[in-house]
Amino acid sequence: MDLQDDVSNQQNSERGSQISHLALDIGGSLVKLVYFSRNNDSRRDDDNEQRSRNECLGVSDSDTCQPFLDGRLHFAKFETSKINDCLEFICSKKLHLGGFQDCTAPSSENICVKATGGGAYKFADLFKEKLGICFDKEDEMDCLVTGANFLLKTVHQEAFTYLDGQKEFVQIDHNDLYPYLLVNIGSGVSMIKVDGDGKFERVSGTNLGGGTFWGLGRLLTKCKNFDELLELSHQGNNRVIDMLVGDIYGGTEYAKIGLSATTIASSFGKAISDNKELEDYKAEDISRSLLRMISNNIGQISYLNALRFGLKRIIFAGFFIRGQAYTMDTISVAVHYWSNGEAKAMFLRHEGFLGALGAFRSYEKQSLDGLMVHKIVQKNPSSISSAGDKSCCSLNSDSKNENENSGCSVYGM
Amino acid sequence: MASLSGDPVLEFGDNIEDLHNNNIINGNTNNNKEVIDKASLLVRGEENITAATSNNNKEGGERDMAPPATNSIHRSGSRPQLDLSKAAIQGNSEERDPTILLPNQSDDISHLALDIGGSLIKLVYFSRHEDRSSDDKRKKTVKERLGISNGNRRSYPILGGRLHFVKFETSKLNECLDFISSKQLHRGGIDSHRWNSEAPANENAVIKATGGGAFKFADIFKERLGVSIDKEDEMDCLVAGANFLLKAIRHEAFTHMEGHKEFVQIDPNDLFPYLLVNIGSGVSMIKVDGEGKFQRVSGTNVGGGTYWGLGRLLTKCKSFDELLELSQRGDNRTIDMLVGDIYGGMDYSKIGLSASTIASSFGKAISDKKELEDYRPEDISLSLLRMISYNIGQISYLNALRFGLKRIFFGGFFIRGHAYTMDTISFAVQFWSQGEAQAMFLRHEGFLGALGAFMSNEKHGLDDLMVHQLVERFPMGAPYTGGKIHGPPLGDLNEKISWMEKFVLKGTEITAPVPMAPPGTTGLGGFEVPSSKGCTLRSDASALNVGVLHLVPTLEVFPLLADPKMYEPNTIDLSDHSELEYWFTVLSEHLPDLVDKAVASEGGTDDAKRRGDAFARAFSAHLARLMEEPAAYGKLGLANLLELREECLREFQFHDAYRSIKQRENEASLAVLPDLLMELDRMDEEARLLTLIEGVLAANIFDWGSRACVDLYHKGTIIEIYRMSRDKMQRPWRVDDFDLFKERMSGSKGKKPRPHKRALLFVDNSGADVILGMLPLARELLRRGTEVVLVANSLPALNDVTAMELPDIVAEAAKHCDILRRAAEAGGLLVDAMNNTLDGSKENSSSVPLMVVENGCGSPCIDLRQVSSELAAAAKDADLIILEGMGRALHTNFNARFKCDALKAWIQLHSLPLQAQQQKPLCPSEEAVE
Repeated sequence: MDLQDDVSNQQNSERGSQISHLALDIGGSLVKLVYFSRNNDSRRDDDNEQRSRNECLGVSDSDTCQPFLDGRLHFAKFETSKINDCLEFICSKKLHLGGFQDCTAPSSENICVKATGGGAYKFADLFKEKLGICFDKEDEMDCLVTGANFLLKTVHQEAFTYLDGQKEFVQIDHNDLYPYLLVNIGSGVSMIKVDGDGKFERVSGTNLGGGTFWGLGRLLTKCKNFDELLELSHQGNNRVIDMLVGDIYGGTEYAKIGLSATTIASSFGKAISDNKELEDYKAEDISRSLLRMISNNIGQISYLNALRFGLKRIIFAGFFIRGQAYTMDTISVAVHYWSNGEAKAMFLRHEGFLGALGAFRSYEKQSLDGLMVHKIVQKNPSSISSAGDKSCCSLNSDSKNENENSGCSVYGM
Repeated sequence: MASLSGDPVLEFGDNIEDLHNNNIINGNTNNNKEVIDKASLLVRGEENITAATSNNNKEGGERDMAPPATNSIHRSGSRPQLDLSKAAIQGNSEERDPTILLPNQSDDISHLALDIGGSLIKLVYFSRHEDRSSDDKRKKTVKERLGISNGNRRSYPILGGRLHFVKFETSKLNECLDFISSKQLHRGGIDSHRWNSEAPANENAVIKATGGGAFKFADIFKERLGVSIDKEDEMDCLVAGANFLLKAIRHEAFTHMEGHKEFVQIDPNDLFPYLLVNIGSGVSMIKVDGEGKFQRVSGTNVGGGTYWGLGRLLTKCKSFDELLELSQRGDNRTIDMLVGDIYGGMDYSKIGLSASTIASSFGKAISDKKELEDYRPEDISLSLLRMISYNIGQISYLNALRFGLKRIFFGGFFIRGHAYTMDTISFAVQFWSQGEAQAMFLRHEGFLGALGAFMSNEKHGLDDLMVHQLVERFPMGAPYTGGKIHGPPLGDLNEKISWMEKFVLKGTEITAPVPMAPPGTTGLGGFEVPSSKGCTLRSDASALNVGVLHLVPTLEVFPLLADPKMYEPNTIDLSDHSELEYWFTVLSEHLPDLVDKAVASEGGTDDAKRRGDAFARAFSAHLARLMEEPAAYGKLGLANLLELREECLREFQFHDAYRSIKQRENEASLAVLPDLLMELDRMDEEARLLTLIEGVLAANIFDWGSRACVDLYHKGTIIEIYRMSRDKMQRPWRVDDFDLFKERMSGSKGKKPRPHKRALLFVDNSGADVILGMLPLARELLRRGTEVVLVANSLPALNDVTAMELPDIVAEAAKHCDILRRAAEAGGLLVDAMNNTLDGSKENSSSVPLMVVENGCGSPCIDLRQVSSELAAAAKDADLIILEGMGRALHTNFNARFKCDALKAWIQLHSLPLQAQQQKPLCPSEEAVE
């Protein structure tokens, strides 16, 4: 209780130093949470936290007057359709109360939590009712860009390229970061030209996004969740169902226009001529074909938009990717193909959390703005060896206890 | 007789300026409102006269420099493009010219090309026109006089003919083979087969073909038809086909927004570069820079195959068309995640996305507990359609932007003229370009490849055809079949009629309109549900839009048009629905009478009755179709509608429905002509001029060719009626430029102007109109030393006088008038008389000639972009144009500007341009002279 008082005091007296512990990005299919826990938190109920706390170097910076800022940023996600899981999670962790107060606290306290995404509007009433918190709504694009800028500037080895199974981290010069094209692949896809901090424009987008993959995939394969569908795509062979250039030209390449026999001429094009029904196709093949169709399309439209504005860097993020090697590979190939190798697709390790991170950052800009790269160290829970791998973002419907699979330690200033 | 009073309008001028034109229209409008029956006056400003004079001087100068012998060079001046191409061809024609004209060697020419796609086989084939008799003496003399050499024709490997477009389903390859075989297309068509019927099949016969099936089915063609397939590159063909269509067909391209189709006229000289997006199974995006100059710049694998493939898996539809059909009743909101779904019904207006924007196609299929079976196939189909169409539109736009291309043309089997698909693509292009780019579609989109393959046979010489040499006709079956694939070729008339009867039974079923989905919400823009106009759009709309292309190499652009590029023949735009409705009613009401006349003209036999019945059905069906979708056959103007009727009559072999009526009218009028001429000769010049013009107007009252008119002929004598109505022509007329005309003819203040050198008189009806109206005026001009060329229809249309009939009429009139006789002799019209005279007398004749030329059309209206070469030749030396009658002076050419003096005169019967008077009965109530 003291601690809670402590927070309250700070809220009342030291606006400049207060830290809220939760921000949400409620999208069409997923709810993303970013919350902060202090290293001196007396109520560590999480093994990972416990461990990482021990691992954390207690960097003391004499400049700082906010010693309690030592702590960790946690990332979690839920399916939007299971918003109740999310509510329970927040409640159980008391995140909305700064992590310290009882769930049963009266809702009249008027606690505000930063939230972005369409769900910040749609579910505002629900959160008010269930948790007694109101949403302080942040603009979605603002948050995405803020999140991306923050990650690109402050986290080592955040961006990487992925081609032919080779992952390569890209060191981006902070002074030469802008402009870039940020492609956020959620349910739909937004393409944002970023010119600086808070300087950006949504230049394009497409309605063929993660929602399309999952939606069509669900209808076609009866998969029960997104990750299962993605998993299936690994074993699939899209040639069974896609019409390739070779299928049209009798196995020969249509070299005149630079199309090889294995180029997909028409996604799902073979489903036309065959006498097969849906049941006759393997779910794996369907999933693979879908994934390639959507990844390829996003890669192409992104490249065309980058070209249009003369942007060298295209950074892909959003939950569709989930560190999926094959997805990243396909997008990379599309960008490579359409740009004749001139443009490269880049990915972010925290791809899914840009919006939530941006919302979190909007609490107190100055408190984190000064953070430099060397003050942030990413810690991965031991169970996950390499970030950026698919396991990094596994989505479990009942993942209450498994949600924090990615952590990021923040050292005080 | 009160009904004969009207609003005469006389308009005279040369380079009519906008200001004046507006005055006329305003004048018309105002007067029309105030006093319908009152005539009005409108005089042109002085500057017009000046302009006219200076123009004449200039033309005179040109003439001086170009003696008649070099007429062909003179002609080239007005049509540089054609002459350029001609030069090129003539070089080549040395080698191959005769071979084409010799039937024995016509095997060289493939009359067929194929595009064998995955689902459809498209055929383009060519049939030659039956050569019309060229022994006609009038034509011969006209040609001599006007310096038209037959040689010009030889530069065209194709002497004129028709391009046919036919489709078959690839799965019904045998039907296609039967069709080719029955028409002997693989041997150069039935024409040549007739000559070669004894000859064995040519071992080396080759057909041009493109598309994947050109590889796949080559053996079958060899086996069944004994022909080899010469495979042409698909992209080459697509581009060649698109280039040809965009250059050769005036209203080929159109935009399609929110259910509204609008044709875009593209200047063939400003066509390149453009982006051609061909949506087949996959999508190719081709940047076209010129003839044969193109590059595939992009494409997408999300195309027609994706739509059909995914659609098949998700809906169990059995055909592409079925799937497309389903989409029309769908609501994609049940399955797509909209911005509103994410934002709880609110717009994300900050970035310009409205609540109904699709955020994620099929995105709702995630969160719902529903399974595939729980979704309506209709909704799935629509969602798929929108997903794919938007995506294609977006990628196309981005590529157009990348290369700075202004125009994007979409084609390919995915579109099929499907209104919703086109709307969706248009929406995407407009959305992403923020209105700066527009998607365009092609009427012949399904035939690009086949046409390109056809073009690849250089021997056709089609490249050199110009827009004005192509006339598109719609087969009478179109409204019934929906342009769908049909099996047997319709050889003779009997087959046509029975086929028509057969389809009349099925007709309603086939043409029943497919209701569209109710328009969705609208918002700030984005991926809205494109609303479609009415419930008339159907999935097979495009199939109806392709007619038979008639190639008429002798057609030319009328050389005296001031601005051929801006010229639009139609005064009345029938895309205005109320106008269309009015004309629909007029034509429908007139139909039974027309059928009666047509049947009577053929002797009223049972066969004639059967044909008359078939004609009425066919034409009614065309009308009904056009009421549903005015743009079904391309841009629809009144002239097109009226011509369609004439074409329809001819198709059922009613070649001249008004034959006997015309004859009766001519005889009655000729009988009273001497009387009229005597009366005129008693007048002084000034009075005579006015009386002549009044006479032209009065005679044009006999225009309507209706029962009322026939009654007039029965009662009293024609001259009485004529005089009575002439007396009613009290000036001022509704538009009255008579003073101006008089000044130009007779001068003012004692100054006598130079007479015109040659006048072109576009005549209208038979009977009183031409004989009592135009002939006396012609005579007056001849008397003043002006050559007169009577311009008449090539083919009959209603009671209009034709170029074939005129020489006889003139000869009859000449019996009573020296002026006419000498002029007709000089013009070679009195062939018999000429033969009886000594050779020298023709040369000694002091008279300027009176000639007759055909105008190249068979419609009550005239499109001056497509006139006969003899009219074009006659126009070279002309400095006065007189257009008479509603069809040619009001319904068409009301806004036409000419390089020389022009007089337009008509009696207005129906409605004013730009202002429909829908309640007007079909009887004379107004008249106008311009």
